[in-house]
Amino acid sequence: MLNHLQLNSILEDFDIAYWKINLLTKEITWSEHFEFLVWKHKSEETLFDYFLNNILHRDYRYDFMLGFENLTLASQNFNQEIKLKLNNDKYRWFECRNLKSKESSGKESSVLLFVNIHQSKRDQYTIEENFFYYRETAEMTSTGGWHIDTLAKAIYWDDVTKKILDCPRDFHLDYNERLRFYSLDHQETALSMFDKCEKYGIPFKVELKMVTLYGREFWVRATGKPVYNEEQSIIGIRGVFQDIDENKNNEHNLQNSLDIIAAQNSRLFNFAHVVSHNLRSHSSNLSLVVQLLNETKIEKDKLELIDNIADISENLDVAISRLNNMVTHHDLMKKERQMVIFSDSLDLAINSVSSLINREGAKIISDFKAMKEIEYIPEYLGSILLNLITNAICYKQPGRKPIIFIQTYLINDQPFMEISDNGMGIDLNQYGDKMFGMYKTFHSNPDAKGIGLFITKNQVETMGGSISVTSTVNIGTTFKIKF
Amino acid sequence: MGQKIELACIIDDDKIYVNLVRKIIEIKKLSENLLIFKNGLEALDYFKVILSNLTEDKLPEIIFLDLNMPVMDGWEFLGEFVKIKNNFDKKISLYVVSSSIDPRDLERAKSFNLVTDYLIKPIELKKFEKIFDRNVA
Repeated sequence: MLNHLQLNSILEDFDIAYWKINLLTKEITWSEHFEFLVWKHKSEETLFDYFLNNILHRDYRYDFMLGFENLTLASQNFNQEIKLKLNNDKYRWFECRNLKSKESSGKESSVLLFVNIHQSKRDQYTIEENFFYYRETAEMTSTGGWHIDTLAKAIYWDDVTKKILDCPRDFHLDYNERLRFYSLDHQETALSMFDKCEKYGIPFKVELKMVTLYGREFWVRATGKPVYNEEQSIIGIRGVFQDIDENKNNEHNLQNSLDIIAAQNSRLFNFAHVVSHNLRSHSSNLSLVVQLLNETKIEKDKLELIDNIADISENLDVAISRLNNMVTHHDLMKKERQMVIFSDSLDLAINSVSSLINREGAKIISDFKAMKEIEYIPEYLGSILLNLITNAICYKQPGRKPIIFIQTYLINDQPFMEISDNGMGIDLNQYGDKMFGMYKTFHSNPDAKGIGLFITKNQVETMGGSISVTSTVNIGTTFKIKF
Repeated sequence: MGQKIELACIIDDDKIYVNLVRKIIEIKKLSENLLIFKNGLEALDYFKVILSNLTEDKLPEIIFLDLNMPVMDGWEFLGEFVKIKNNFDKKISLYVVSSSIDPRDLERAKSFNLVTDYLIKPIELKKFEKIFDRNVA
């Protein structure tokens, strides 16, 4: 048997202090180690009162007194976790319990052990706290964890993973079914990334589309890393799925808004350019005339210069009315869509340029069988047809009578209109990017004003569509409008 | 002014402006002759013919180039003219003349070594005289 001294030294080594309680006299003796841990008692109080008032954290006072009474009076076992103030004035966690003795009755004394459990208590708290943060973060960011046992061919999902995949909590994924949770066009990617991770230990972080149990597709950021055993061979893959569908959608919407803003910005720049260039060029001519009038002494020259003023004033007028036109076109945006019949709209357009059509002997053929009408702003459709017809006639191939073919059709419910001509065509490599800009004329053609296509593009885009062009020099041009 | 410019050249699609400049040159007797092209391509074709015929006396000493023109604008002309300019021995001063007050246009014009200066319309009569004066051989 160990003697008293040896026992003490062992207890001390394990940081275990104790009280010895005489059950008859209720006298308490502290072990040396206990005295070492707390401040030595110097007051008039009994050791017990001193302990209650100065060492034990007050939250545990009541329970401790109760437990102590039960132990000393009724020989009930004592087992509590308490906080004690040590000699450095800091509270530490202790487990306090009585030393159980074999003989149940006739005992004269009892031993109360104080075991320092502060470190493990703290670890426990840290784990609980971390777990709490992990749960909250996982819920908040829709991030689910998973683990694949590559040896047993088994997959484990945590609750969040099941939640983002619309699976019930008791859902169990069969290993062979795993691919059904990836969208068809991403299954190959998924398979190859898991495969590479399993075989070569290559971690992955990819964005891909997954499919929930009910077939809803959504975007996920999948991260995975290999799990090694002690022999450094791969036994599994561990990782997370993060639901980033909302982010992806936001990203997409943001990109759309950016595109719209960029398009509007470029229209504004174009407009500013027209205002600046066209108005300035007239005003600068006017200023030149005035300077020359001041310089010249010859009457005949003066008269000529005054003629110039008439020309300038006329040009200025044209420029301003064009600008007005553009502003009114922008105002039309406020109008509402209504059903417009293509053939009606075309008749109106043809009537308004009938003299040009007759003069050039142009032939206009239309085929609206596939789509007779569309919900649109009537003024826009009329203006689009008018501009494209005028454009086709203006850029006819010399010596060839213009033929214009207009057709509407649907592809997957998406309406289209094509306007083709047999005109001179245009070198798109050279002029393609300028085609729809303002005041760009491509040929030395006196009728060409170059604003029509700009307005047309504007109108089509305002209505949410797009316009594209294909052309072959000397053969003809086709404009395709996606409504 | 003892001497004057033999041949000046205007590349501009604004007929009124061209007429007025012609008038200024006549009244002020700034140049013996004047070449007028209404876009960059017409001017470029002319210079290419000179290059193949080696008739340098038909080269202008001074060019006024507009930027906004149909068919081939001022920028495209500059891009093409750079390639052939060094084949000419004669000194040619090229002025970009535009009503654009966009600083980016100014920067871009200055980035061409062959551009002597960027002039904003309207140009004052006195400025015209100075330019012709400065460029008298």
